[in-house]
Order: sequence, then structure tokens, then C-alpha cells
Amino acid sequence: MAENRQPILSAKDVEIEFTLRGKVLKAIRKCSLDLYKGETLAIVGESGSGKSVFTKSFLGMLDANGSITGGTITYDGNDISKYKTEKQWMAIRGKKISMVMQDPMTSLNPLKKIGKQIEESITYNQGIKGEEARKMAIEMLSKVGIPDPERRAKQYPHEFSGGMRQRVVIAIAAACRPDILICDEPTTALDVTIQAQILDLIRGLQKDLDMTVIYITHDLGVVANVADRVAVMYAGQIVEVGTVEEIFYDAWHPYTWALLNSLPQLGVKGEELPTIEGTPPNLFNEVHGDAFAPRNKQALAIDFEEEPPFFNVSETHIAKTWYLDPRAPKIEQPKSILSLRNKMKK
Amino acid sequence: MAEREKLIELKDLQITFGTGRKKFVAVDHVNFDIYKGETFSLVGESGSGKTTIGRAITRINPVSAGEIYFKGQRISGKISKEMDLEVIKKCQMIFQDPMASLNERAKVDYIVSEGLINHHLYKDEDDRKRKVEYALREVGLLPEFASRFPHEFSGGQRQRIGIARALIMEPEFVVADEPISALDVSIRAQVLNLLNKLKKSRGLTYLFIAHDLSVVRFISDRIAVISKGRIVELAEAEELFLHPLHPYTKALLSAVPIPDPQLEKQKKLLVYDPSIHDYSTDKPVWEEILPGHFIYGNKKELEQYRREVQA
Amino acid sequence: MASKQDELFRFVEYSPENAERIGYSNYSYWRSVMQNFLKRKSAVFMLFVFVGLVIFSFIALAIGKYDWATLVTNTDLAFHKPDGEYWFGCDNLGRDYWCQVWYSMQTSVKLAALVGGGECVLGIVIGCLWGYVRWLDRPITELYNIINNVPMIIYLTLIALIFRGLSFPVMCITLIAFGWLVMARNVRNLVFMYRDREYNLASRCLGTPISRVLVKNIFPYLISVIVLRLALSIPGTISLETTLSYLGLGLGIDTPSLGILLRNARNYFVDYPYLLVFPAVVVALITITFYLLGNAFSDASDPRNHV
Repeated sequence: MAENRQPILSAKDVEIEFTLRGKVLKAIRKCSLDLYKGETLAIVGESGSGKSVFTKSFLGMLDANGSITGGTITYDGNDISKYKTEKQWMAIRGKKISMVMQDPMTSLNPLKKIGKQIEESITYNQGIKGEEARKMAIEMLSKVGIPDPERRAKQYPHEFSGGMRQRVVIAIAAACRPDILICDEPTTALDVTIQAQILDLIRGLQKDLDMTVIYITHDLGVVANVADRVAVMYAGQIVEVGTVEEIFYDAWHPYTWALLNSLPQLGVKGEELPTIEGTPPNLFNEVHGDAFAPRNKQALAIDFEEEPPFFNVSETHIAKTWYLDPRAPKIEQPKSILSLRNKMKK
Repeated sequence: MAEREKLIELKDLQITFGTGRKKFVAVDHVNFDIYKGETFSLVGESGSGKTTIGRAITRINPVSAGEIYFKGQRISGKISKEMDLEVIKKCQMIFQDPMASLNERAKVDYIVSEGLINHHLYKDEDDRKRKVEYALREVGLLPEFASRFPHEFSGGQRQRIGIARALIMEPEFVVADEPISALDVSIRAQVLNLLNKLKKSRGLTYLFIAHDLSVVRFISDRIAVISKGRIVELAEAEELFLHPLHPYTKALLSAVPIPDPQLEKQKKLLVYDPSIHDYSTDKPVWEEILPGHFIYGNKKELEQYRREVQA
Repeated sequence: MASKQDELFRFVEYSPENAERIGYSNYSYWRSVMQNFLKRKSAVFMLFVFVGLVIFSFIALAIGKYDWATLVTNTDLAFHKPDGEYWFGCDNLGRDYWCQVWYSMQTSVKLAALVGGGECVLGIVIGCLWGYVRWLDRPITELYNIINNVPMIIYLTLIALIFRGLSFPVMCITLIAFGWLVMARNVRNLVFMYRDREYNLASRCLGTPISRVLVKNIFPYLISVIVLRLALSIPGTISLETTLSYLGLGLGIDTPSLGILLRNARNYFVDYPYLLVFPAVVVALITITFYLLGNAFSDASDPRNHV
């Protein structure tokens, strides 16, 4: 659990736009997030909610047709959202902030031995060359649980299975002991047994190398496994932030309710699974009011008119919903959420 | 169990890829039946052969040994044209990746009615349009989507278009090949509900292929666990979850993430090591250890399982 | 203000249709292709140049003083430099060069267009079958190897012997018979790539006949490559015809072509450069045009470039 400290990364009111087919897509609409040292933060949301885009902006890895059009991202005393040159980003990327992508099949260079690929990362970011870099690479391979690392460092990516490849990718990302490791759905493409092992691995590495980890995922099971704090994203905005217990046992945003509700583990055989109907809004168009309102079965009229501000549920828990306004009618959290723990215990 | 009609029967199925030295046995000695009206799930990791079995039933992959029967008639290997047409009409498939399973350069109208057009199963143009409209509505999409291209839709909607495409043929049996694996966790429930609704309204039978056990428990009647081309355990859904016997099944179950932080963080992960099976002298068999609960193991292991069950 | 906002704190009806509605992007593939293509000014310019050239060739023949069919050799006029009377001068046999150049251009372009079209059709059909039907892979690959590995000169010499020289139709058919190889190979590679994608498996599951799978599912993805190949084959044919004319295996003396003009000019161009310059400029323009056009259109028809 992260104690109260200064955030090491602080994003405030970030706005990101893309130009696509001649039109403008507002992918991130005023997102704010604080990241504290040593914690594991999970960002949860559907595809298209903007979670990848948001974190890519911390590394300056937005696509060519995208740009940060507003807000600030403060890291290490600098506003990195204003960085324009590759030189500025090189000081951060890989060295201080590192990323593990989703698909291990395409994240590695198929033509280079994997030992070499790890060495490259070490040489480039820390300036260590030759024999010492090679030793560090092999040490990293054994840290990520690859058996017989000496021999395997001389092999090519196609000789590894999916889970092994993801371990190699994590080794490359963590080789330079970055401050922040961003994992973008690292286990989505993997089987459930391998997923469990990879999550364990990242947890171990985090302790060992003293890293702060951001997980991007849409799987609440993964969140429950790894996270200290959770941020829920919808339609380009962060709508709720809190500790993992607060989000699972005391959520307040209707989207978070809908997410928790739609878990198959809550399903009763023979009945319908509770679900989120409809589709996320098209961000080419202006969004009026609360973006989730059209899909919310218990929407308030004001949800369609005005965007809600953040309300405090506790010191560590905020939610962006009109339900928390004192003028709102009494809303109870769905019973299914309250009984979540009882069901699991069975 | 009362006499239920067997819709699909797999007898000693074996499927190999490649020839000579590069021969790869994907599926070996698979035996099971699927009864009419049930949802039969096949669960395993990638590469275990579950997709291969599904594709063999719909005649996309050829079978190298053994037979597949549909309503008592053989549908594997060389069959007559009429039988082939029967299979096309009665056994349909839903694919895994909504991004790859639709033709990007064709309108939704054509995609959904492709099967009808192939065999001219409509009276005239208006009839076809009506069938398409009905199919789209049935899966919860608006009829106006028929004139659009797939890239305009989200993953969940595209998957529903794929379901409409399969259902417009009015099949009796549907192979759902990991239909929700590529979808967001929040959209999976939509598709699952849809599949259940359609099962009830049309009296369908499903072969549901998946690698995620948490989902499978909710929708299945019976579950078979497959590992490296062999089925290792088969039982009714609740039975499998309450009394898993095979170590592979136990490992699979322990790996499923529980969406409850306190329980999940205390969970112990079991790892399956295939080398614990010694099949050199004591050959394994497929045995019904409890009524309706089958397991694959040699004499020694079966003894162990029996003792576990009694405990 | 407060009271107006207050009264909005009530529940509203839920509409499932509104939840499902998505934005319509009104994207049309061919429109995007055109837009993309028109952005490349150099290609559009060359297109105009080429079309202008073709149209001009008709005009040129009409306004020319001499009709090609009625040319007579006149050794007095041999190597007559370009002037008011003979706009392009005369060739070594004293015939007006102006009408020869323009007539040859028409012949060459006609040949190239016919050969290009034939290669296209034959190449696509064979390529599709080669890539899609598993059991045809082996036999067609062998056929490809046989045709590809023997130098074309040998085949052409044989054909010239059999048909006693190469007339226009025979030349056309022969060039098509060898030109389909490259197109077929390119098409086959793409068909291989798309053959086992899930949407094609779905079509097979639904019983779609192979012809429709190839036309509706696979062909739209081949357009980019086909256009490029086609555009590059046109200057390729012209240059091949030129080479063959050098070797005496081209179209007969009676059928004028740029190749023959260039061959003739080879002997005299040091003293009389105009004999070479005029046909060479025409060949160069055609080649550049199709090269640029082909690349531009091919890039434009690749959906990944439609942003």
C-alpha cells in the first residue's frame, strides 16, 4: 500500500488529439493522474477508452498524427508533455520510464539473438558495453525465470514460446532499472496459466528492482491480483480513482459498477449475465455531459447536460459522477457488488 | 442419464498435420459425444488442439483417423455432395478474432447473407433483405448497419455480425471457437447473453471452445479439458469445478484470476508438470470414474483419483 | 441557475437504440483512392502528359504532310535535316520521319497495352488458382520454372522460325505467354497470405464457391499490386520490343515500331542525332509516365495509406 508521499509522475488535465481521415479525434479529454513511488497502479477500461494512448504520451510514443494539445505531465521536475525533440525523450525512454507491450510475438526483433537484444538495451541506456553488458543480460534472463540462461541467450525469438518471449520483453524493459515500468496488457495474448506466472514475475521484479509499475488492462481479475491503486477510464477520461479495496468493495461511478457487475463469476446459471449494453461513444463527435450516460440504465437528466466534477469519497478515493452530488436522489450501490465477496468465499 | 439424442459423436479422432518427418499429431484418440440442446465446452491452452477439433467438425480441417458423426451419419472424410450441403446448413461456426473474421471490403449486407447467396436459400431480393434485417435485429444490431463496412464497428459489434452470419443459415449445431477471447472483458457478457438467448430461442447445441475457465462455468452444461491433443477430463460443469481430479485441471483452475483483491492476493498458484505421468509400462485409459465424470490416467493414477473422490 | 440545475437530478428513460448508435464515417474506398492519388502532383502531371501525347499522335498524323501508307523511298531526300517541309526530317531511306515517329508510337503503345492487359488477365487467373488450390501448386510451379529458366530468345527464335517472322498478333501472343509469369507469382504470394485468414475460413464454412471467394474476398486486396505490375509492364514491353528489334526478332520492317526506329537510328545517330532523339524522347516519356503513375496508384489503393 502506498503511503502518503509526493507523486513521482503527475498528469494534470491532459488532452490528446489525433487527426484521422481529415477529422479530429479527441482521444483524451482532460485526464489527471498521480503516480506514487513504489506502488502498482492499474488503469482499467474498455478498448478505445484511451488507456494506451494516455500512457504512451508519458514516453512520447504517440503516433505521428497525434499530439498533446493541453495539460501538463510533470516528471522529475520537468513538464514532459512539452518535449518535442527525440533527444529530450531519449533521456527518459528506456532509462527512466520503460514499456512492455501486449504482443510478445511482435515485440522482439526476429533476426537478432535475444541476448544481443537485451545487451543493446543496456548499452544504449547505461553505456555499459562488451563483456559486462553480456553478464548483466544473462543475469536479467535468470531474474525473469528463463532456465539455462547462458544457452538461451544465444537463441532467436522464434525458438521461444509466447510466455517465454514475454519474459524476455520484460527483461529488456527492466534491464536498465527504470523508475517506472508501464505494462500495456502484458498477459492478454497469453493463456491463463502463463498469465499467472507472468504477473508473479513482475511482482517479484518490482520488489527486487524497486520499480513503480503501471498496469493497463481490461481484466478485473488481473487488477485484483496486482494492484495497490486503481484508475478507471472511460471515453478518454479517468472517471474513478481509489485503492484496490475501495474500487472493488465501495465503487461509486456507474461505469465501475457496470464493469464489476459484468463479471462471469457473478453469473447465475440459467439467468442472464448482467452486462453493459451498447457501445462506447464515438470520440470524433463532441461529448455532452457524462460520456457514459447513454449506456447507463439509471442515468440522471443532468448526466446528459453537464459533465460531472470529481467528488471525494475518501482521502484516497475520488469519483466523477453526479451520483455523489448532495442533490442527487438516493442511489444504492448494486447489491451484486456488495455480495461479491460472499460469492467468492463459497 | 435418460436417453438423449446424440447430435455429434467423435470416435477415436486423430488429426495430423504435415507428412513424413514434419508430421505433427495435433489431436489423438479423442472420444466424446455432444447431446442435443446442451452447451459442451472444450477447454485447454493454445496449441492443445481444441480449435483443430472444432474445425474438423465443420470440415475445414481434414481428419486423418477416426470418425465424426452428425445425427448418426458420418460427416468426416469423403462424403456425398448432399451430405456436405447438410453439414453446411446444420453445422456452423463462429470465429475467434472479430478483426479477421469479416471481409473488410464487403458490406455487412453481403457478409451476413453470404451463406444464403451460396445456396440460394431465399425467394427473391426482398426476402433476402428481410432475412438479413431479421438476423441483425436478433443479435441486437440496428438494420441500418447492413449498408456499412466492418471497419466502422467495434469488436463486440463485429463479433455479433459474425454470429448473425452463422445463424442466418438456421443451424442446429454451432461451434463457437473462442468467441469472446478477443473481446474486452466488459463486452464478453453481452455476447455470452446473446449466445444463451439464441440457444433457448432456436434450440441450438453449442461446442464452446475456450481457454478461460471462469467464463465456461457460467454457460456450460458439460466441460472437457484438453491438453496436448488428448482429453484428460470430462464432467458436468459444476462437478468439474467442485471435484477436479486431473492435475492439469487443478492447475488450470488455480490460474483463473479471482476479481476480489483479498482472495486473489492470498491465492496459491498450482503449476502442472507433465513429467509426473509415467506411462511407460502402465498404459493410460479413458475411464468413467463417477457417473458422467471421465478421466484419463493409468491404473495407478485412477486408484489415486478414486481415493480422492471417496474422501 | 442552481434551481435549474437542481431539477435535472432525476432519472431518465433508457433507450437501448441510442446506446448502440455509432458515428457514421462515410468512408468510400475508391473515393479515398482518388483523393490519395490526386495528392501526388507529379503523377497527375505525367498522366496529363501521356494522354496529351496519345491524343497528339492522332492529330499529328492528321495534320502531317505525308501519309504513312504512301511513303516512298527517295534516296535524294536521305538524311534530310528537320525543316519546314519535313518537320522531323527524313530517315536514311528518304521517308518522312514525322509520320513514322507518331505512327510507331501508336503501334508500340497499342502493343504494350494489349500485352499488358493480356498479361494481367492471364497472370491474375493463374496466380489465383496457383495460390488458392493446394493441389495445383506443384504443377504450376513446375510450369513456371520451365518457362522461366529457358531464355526467352530461344523461344522467340523458334516461334519466328515456325511462323516465318513475327507479325503483330503473333508478337502480342508470344509476349503475353511469357509476361504472365511475374504477375502470377506476385498474385500467388498475396493469395497465400490471405488464403487462411479467418474470413476466408468462414466463407468455406458457408460453402462459398472458390470463384466467388477469389473475386470478393481476395481480389480486392490484390488491386494495389496488380496496378503496379500492370503499370510497370507497359514500359517493360516497349523496351523488350526494342531489344528484340535490335536482335532482328522484332516486328517486321513493314510494321513500324519505336524499336525499329531506334534500331535504324543506331547506325547513323552520331552524324544525324535527330534520328535517335525523337523516338528516344517518346520512349522516355512513356516510361516515366507509367512508372510514376503505377507507383502513385498502387500507393493510393493500399488502404493502409488512407488516413
